[in-house]
Amino acid sequence: MNQEPMQLPLPGFENARATWQRDYSKHIADDHAIRNRSGIQVNALYTPHDWDSERYMDDLGFPGQLPMTRGIYTTMHRGRPWSQRQLIGLGTPEDYNRRLKSIFKAGASAISLIPCNSVYRGYDMDEVDPLLLGTCGTIVNSVEDMDIFLRDIPIDQISAAQNDPLPFTLLAFVLAVAKRRGIPWEKVTGTSNQSDYISHFVANHMFFRIALPGSRRVLTDHIEFTNKHVPGWNPVSVVGQHMQQAGATPAEAMAFTLCTALQYAEDCMARGMAPDTFLPRFTFFFDISVSFFEEIAKLRAGRRVWSRVTRQRLAAKDPRSWRFKFHAQTSGVDLTRQQPLNNIARVTLQAMAGLFGGLQSLHTDAFDEVFSTPTEEAARVAVSTQNILRHEAHLADVIDPLGGSYYVETLTNEMEQQVETTMAKIDDAGGMYKAVESGLVQTMIGESALAFQRQVDSGEQKIIGVNAYQVEETPSHHAPLKRPDPAVTATQLSRFKAFKQSRNQARIRAALDTLASAANSENENIFARVVEAADVGVTHGEIVACLRREMGVGQPLVVA
Amino acid sequence: MESTSNRSQRPPKILITKIGLDGHDRGSRVIATQLRDAGMEVVYTGPWQEILAVVKLALEEDVDVIGISALATDHLLVPKLMDALRSADLAHVRVVVGGIVPPEDESALLMAGVSKVFHPGSSRDEIVSDMNRLASEARSR
Amino acid sequence: MSTGSNSEATTDLTARLLRGEPAALARAITEVENETTEMSAILRATQPRLGKATIVGFTGAPGAGKSTLISAYIKVLRARDKTVGVVTVDPSSPFSRGAILGDRIRMAEHTTDLGVFVRSVAARGHLGGISRTTARIVDIFDAVGKDVVIVETVGAGQSEVAVAEIADIKVVVCAPGLGDDVQAIKAGLLEIADILVVNKHDLPSADTTIRSLKAMLDLRNNNRDAVQVLATVATTGVGVNELAETIESKCTMHRPTRSPRTRIRRVLAGIAGQIVETHLQDTDDSAIDAVCDAVQRGDLSFESAAQRLLAERLGR
Ligand SMILES: Nc1nc2c(ncn2[C@@H]2O[C@H](COP(=O)(O)OP(=O)(O)OP(=O)(O)O)[C@@H](O)[C@H]2O)c(=O)[nH]1
Ligand SMILES: [Mg+2]
Repeated sequence: MNQEPMQLPLPGFENARATWQRDYSKHIADDHAIRNRSGIQVNALYTPHDWDSERYMDDLGFPGQLPMTRGIYTTMHRGRPWSQRQLIGLGTPEDYNRRLKSIFKAGASAISLIPCNSVYRGYDMDEVDPLLLGTCGTIVNSVEDMDIFLRDIPIDQISAAQNDPLPFTLLAFVLAVAKRRGIPWEKVTGTSNQSDYISHFVANHMFFRIALPGSRRVLTDHIEFTNKHVPGWNPVSVVGQHMQQAGATPAEAMAFTLCTALQYAEDCMARGMAPDTFLPRFTFFFDISVSFFEEIAKLRAGRRVWSRVTRQRLAAKDPRSWRFKFHAQTSGVDLTRQQPLNNIARVTLQAMAGLFGGLQSLHTDAFDEVFSTPTEEAARVAVSTQNILRHEAHLADVIDPLGGSYYVETLTNEMEQQVETTMAKIDDAGGMYKAVESGLVQTMIGESALAFQRQVDSGEQKIIGVNAYQVEETPSHHAPLKRPDPAVTATQLSRFKAFKQSRNQARIRAALDTLASAANSENENIFARVVEAADVGVTHGEIVACLRREMGVGQPLVVA
Repeated sequence: MESTSNRSQRPPKILITKIGLDGHDRGSRVIATQLRDAGMEVVYTGPWQEILAVVKLALEEDVDVIGISALATDHLLVPKLMDALRSADLAHVRVVVGGIVPPEDESALLMAGVSKVFHPGSSRDEIVSDMNRLASEARSR
Repeated sequence: MSTGSNSEATTDLTARLLRGEPAALARAITEVENETTEMSAILRATQPRLGKATIVGFTGAPGAGKSTLISAYIKVLRARDKTVGVVTVDPSSPFSRGAILGDRIRMAEHTTDLGVFVRSVAARGHLGGISRTTARIVDIFDAVGKDVVIVETVGAGQSEVAVAEIADIKVVVCAPGLGDDVQAIKAGLLEIADILVVNKHDLPSADTTIRSLKAMLDLRNNNRDAVQVLATVATTGVGVNELAETIESKCTMHRPTRSPRTRIRRVLAGIAGQIVETHLQDTDDSAIDAVCDAVQRGDLSFESAAQRLLAERLGR
């Protein structure tokens, strides 16, 4: 995108520039090249030489208009503030329900559940070492658990983000509860936050449950099903966060995310779905590192590329299909255990980058997450950070406030170029599915992770408190550990076992048989069978185990 | 033929693995590569190893040090691993844990016989020199 | 050369080894792998027991699926109640001399099966696809009574013919899309193959690979037993039973020609070669220099120069 420096019609510009260049070189004799995490060289100064408003309509346009650089909506944060989505998930369904109600009193309308890692791995609580149960999230194994969880919560008035990898048992439980309460599925809204099996295969193996081909099919089934029966649901969230946390550079993470979304879209189209029926429900999820300008440019560039590929490659006609809606989370990878209060500064910068990048929803990390599950105080600081940015710093008052900055526009263009170069590599490998199946993406990410680590080890990348400005400290900033009370876990376990006993076993067996045969047939919708099974009381672990048996266990491709 | 070498001159042999439920492998991949680049021979596995599998692996490969990468709360299982190693007569094998480990848990791990807990931000030099030291301790069994 | 120490500890180790204790087996392999002073004693103790195991070598380009195929083959062997020892070799970094040993990742299915013992070793700069001591490690497995010993070579794409020295049956693994079918031939792998496996038969271009390999074999028209070409899908086990059958029948065919003496001679030839090589290349010896000069002048043929050096400089 870098064009030949043009002769600018600015009187005195060239002379002034030459003078500055000369003086600058006098002061800094050996100006070593600085590169950002994506490898783009960062100059000392950007001027209309690099970017100039002649390119305004090509590069930027207006908010809500192509090429969407300035934001996907006309009014952006001025019209509707971003949603503050904080994750919760500790204790039993009862604990969770209490917490949920208090959050609702405080005015939240979006929830996001963190299940226990045993749930993520696809197991019921009677299948894992009790030592680990409930130590990192809530245990939800059945429609009964979900019912407790959502007691007195108006399902039709909340937007729920389910951290629910395929086959989407949690959503199935929610739908079953809704059915029992007579709430039509049309009123159920939210997002399947962890539907991106490709990112799980590559980076977050804990969520990867069913072998690749089976995963591919179940996701497409899920999109098809929700499209028809739960139209307010976003079945897909493509998670750039996993890639970036695994070590991909910001540009790579954006490229992999876009390629993944293209893959899912193409899979749906191969099923015969029209792009404009499902693309408006695609959402994205990004990690925001502390590399401030780079992150802003990453998000702006991503928006532009998405609006182009949806039109050019997928032939989407509906403007809603071109919108790059994303949730963002401040990156835990940047947080340090040393001088933990510094993390508040980091999170603030990350959050600002996300806001300037035009996010739709934001999660800010608590500064003490590097130790364990956040304390209440730290969680409050995290929420306050968002409020301070909005109400005190007035960061939401102006749309795309950095638009037109010589640096930000140049960097956005350069990031876009990098993103496209990486996307071309994936295209050459036959698309994202093939590129992860062969390990290409994993290898690229591994190399980037190592390259970054080497920069930290050599001190080239300074991390305050870690390899620079260290101080002697006595560990202080952490609250006593909150581990589930073994007695409470034991009670939950016996209730779960009793629930399993009490079920109509014949119906359970029948539901599982139906599920198994759907997995082996060509044209049945597997997710529809999951929903039915959940409704009659089949548990999370039973559903996942059945599909693993029929479609193969999801094993990551370990690239040493 | 120059065939004899002192046992302590051979490269340290390290097992880098993951137990429990979490599957994030960025940390273990980076560490494995760093240890290789420091001249060690590193056996590397995928996540979710059973404790008994880790013991069998450590035995067959005759490793000096086991590095467990634990990001969630999987480090809670490490004391069980320590017991299993002792019953398999592998008490000489040193065990280190890397990842997010709260201070209370760290002391529990050290009590259970873990040699060292590496927290995020530990430097490569620190890890390499500790691993070298632990490997030679394991060998002087 | 060391005669080996016969310390009490070593005697104890060999006794435990011969009793079949896994820990002693692991430890003995370590001694041998590192060529420690205990090595000779351990090897001597194992020598009377050699020659019972079937030794199968798997070689082929990186990523062809050797480890996965070995895992699937082990599954078949275990179903037939055979015990298995595996040595997998991975390359060492030429810079740091460290290594990442990752082959057993693909053998995860057998992680808790006591009938399968896997040992990963680094090549430590040795060429030919195996480490210097791989053959001796195989011997140890043989001596402790493993029914089948499997060797996986470095998948470095280099000439990996060294495995031919140790294995009764050499399986060369190819896969479509790696461009390695042609490379395999270049590297001389076809010459050593008893069985050629085209793995990843689930991939679209596999049949083309099979056809081109068969065509090449026809061209060679050599006299030894026909090389068999098999197709497998290591990830699902398709074709692996047939592979196991073929290995077994080839092995019974070869057996009668395999007397202990033949084997020992072969090993001795290999080791003698190594000794001579080390001596002639690395020793400061003016007499050797003189012979070299004579060759240079044309006074001596290479042949007679070699004879003379063998007799005069190495014949002690
Ligand atoms: N599609 C397909 N993939 C396979 C098959 N066999 C192995 N693979 C995959 O190919 C990749 C490489 O397999 P490995 O068994 O590690 O190959 P290798 O020859 O041992 O590789 P190196 O030891 O690195 O030389 C893995 O991702 C396997 O899952 C097969 O039959 N079909
Ligand atoms: Mg291999």
